[in-house]
Amino acid sequence: MWLWNKIKQLAISWKSGVVTLRYPFEPRPAPAGFRGQPIWDHTKCIGCAGCANHCPARTIFLRDICQEIRILLYDSSRCTYCGRCADLCPEKAITMGDHYELATENRPDITQTIELFMMTCQRCGRCYDLEIKNSLDKLHTLGYRYDSLEVGKVSRQNTAEFSPDLLEKTKTYERPKQLEK
Amino acid sequence: MNKKEFLAGLLKDKLGSDFLGQEVSSDHRLFVDIEKEALLPAVKLILEQGGRYQVGISYDDRKNHQSFALIHTLAFDRDGLLVALRAFAPGNNPEFDSITPVVPGAGWSEREYHDLLGLNFKGHPNPKRLVLSDDWPEGIYPLRQDVPHDLMPPSAEEVAFRLEQAPPGTSVIPFGPFHSSLHEPAHFSVYVDGEDIKGCEYRGFMTHRGIEKLGQTELTYNDVPFVAERICGICGSVHSTNYAQAVEAAAGLKIPQRAEFIRVVILELERLHSHLLWLGVAGHLIGFDTVFMQAWRIREKIMWLAESLTGNRKTYGLIIIGGVRRNITKEKAEDIRRVLQEVEKETLTLEKAIIKDKTIHKRTRGVGYLSKEDAIKWNLVGPVARARGLDIDVRRDHPYAAYDELKFDVPVAETGDVWGTLVVRLKEIYEAIKIIRQCLDKLAILPENEPLALELEGPIPAGKQGLSVVEAPRGEAVHYVLTGEENRPERWRVRAPTYPNLQAVPDMLLNNKLADFPIIVGSIDPCISCTDRVMVVELRERRVRIVARQELEKISRKMRLGR
Repeated sequence: MWLWNKIKQLAISWKSGVVTLRYPFEPRPAPAGFRGQPIWDHTKCIGCAGCANHCPARTIFLRDICQEIRILLYDSSRCTYCGRCADLCPEKAITMGDHYELATENRPDITQTIELFMMTCQRCGRCYDLEIKNSLDKLHTLGYRYDSLEVGKVSRQNTAEFSPDLLEKTKTYERPKQLEK
Repeated sequence: MNKKEFLAGLLKDKLGSDFLGQEVSSDHRLFVDIEKEALLPAVKLILEQGGRYQVGISYDDRKNHQSFALIHTLAFDRDGLLVALRAFAPGNNPEFDSITPVVPGAGWSEREYHDLLGLNFKGHPNPKRLVLSDDWPEGIYPLRQDVPHDLMPPSAEEVAFRLEQAPPGTSVIPFGPFHSSLHEPAHFSVYVDGEDIKGCEYRGFMTHRGIEKLGQTELTYNDVPFVAERICGICGSVHSTNYAQAVEAAAGLKIPQRAEFIRVVILELERLHSHLLWLGVAGHLIGFDTVFMQAWRIREKIMWLAESLTGNRKTYGLIIIGGVRRNITKEKAEDIRRVLQEVEKETLTLEKAIIKDKTIHKRTRGVGYLSKEDAIKWNLVGPVARARGLDIDVRRDHPYAAYDELKFDVPVAETGDVWGTLVVRLKEIYEAIKIIRQCLDKLAILPENEPLALELEGPIPAGKQGLSVVEAPRGEAVHYVLTGEENRPERWRVRAPTYPNLQAVPDMLLNNKLADFPIIVGSIDPCISCTDRVMVVELRERRVRIVARQELEKISRKMRLGR
């Protein structure tokens, strides 16, 4: 009985043979629909902050450095590749690529920065008409936004007027060490 | 009169003026508010009626009621009813009666809230630190609302966890925090007399990531599923589905039928690969590596299938509140059927080759025995409970998603040992395949262009309670959500299946041989990262001097030369 079992096990192992892939010596392409590294198309991006507001890992940061220029920074070191940003983008400016070999010694390899030129609206100070019900309406970013690009901290604070003080504060943000009394 | 009305009436009668009120909810949930003095009698009353203790939930409610809330939830598996008893204690003196002397399985919940919220439990037999690291300073309770989620307090000095004294006549063998037979960090200090295990103490919670705190302070409703998924590396979708169900229950949402079936397919695929993974690990732990290699070979097909279905091998990212994100089209359904057929055939071949092998029988029969009474005492869940003759399965007893429309069996074994868990898990593999096939049949009938997720009409109302259970591969997982303002939960509590099962491990180990330690601990399929989900900082954050490579080489060379 014991021997018979061992013969059966041998047969299974023999039949299946070597199943280990030759990766990385042979490439293994990802299947269709794979959620790899997200890629921003800066010609389509309108700077609406939908991706930054809904990123579960908080890896997309926005900083308005002046009236006209908004910086969007994507830091993939904490990214979970859930693909929420690509789902929510109203302009389909984000695509989930099929690239997955992302290990690197060099941080800039896995970050993307876009400088967006924002036009000025007479009504809200920024760029879009809010009376029309559109997808931007749901994205809740009005006015100016100051995330800390240095520490990687999303700040939920928006201001209607551009505030150099807040901008300065986010540059020096530190995690709290003690409870506030 | 159904069970819910009967229990509500009974509690009202027996508690009198201590009964404060009852929340309007579905027929399968009973949310009751009582005075805190009545908590212990009420829990006793429900246990007498045949309730099974699930978990304690506590939260900081000083903002609204100047108090801390404590909820005990109990399940009636035959009636499909979950009962939640809530009591409040004043914010300046948060003290409750401990229910641990009556329900030993509540011990961890109470210790957890002593650590995280600073609650005191009168009469707790073992009020030691459980969740917080040893060097976390006294007096800072991370789950309280005045503590920011990214607080990094300076560590307390000269503190250490005091392990119990070994009983006389035994010696201590430490297993962990890192040990080759444990795949995640946990510390068991095992007392042995020769080869026989005479007791053990557990110190875990070393992989806290503060996920609950994040969900309550930083994330928004629809961010949480993607973080919840990362609670566990194996049963991720269980947690995201469970959380989404709890929110949907609190907000009164009914998701599209197609989404329900897709959720079931994903959950069952997860069960399939989890059970095959366990079978492999169990084989490995008893030194039977053929099982390990072959089970994982079969499992890999499911991983590839999941990758093409959802976009990733493991973190599927498929669940959002109100539905799912991706469809299962006709072509994908064909892929699933093809893979399932292969997996079924190969698992059967593997089962036939190993099930009568003496190696397995000798290492698993009679090992890690726990009687049915003990299993009830410790509120065991999942295959570990079913191997001990407890016929409980959340999918059948408290149906969620589309399980009420599917037919399947719940395998139960009576042996009460590791062998029983192996048999139960093997049989569940075939049941899971059966369930997925039924789902695919249903999906083929349902209109394909049905929306996959609900559009939320407005914000989710605050202050509503939602309680959800999901049968993870390891057993019942419980999620509790109290909705809050600012588009995020006020309280989100996760109880993974390993939480109750691990508490019973010391009893399972008793009088076994030391060599069987790995397989006994392995038999509950411990998921340490699930269990440890709550905290804020890494453990043992000591001052670390960075040693450059050259320096390290220099030191090691010096050592070798004996200088």
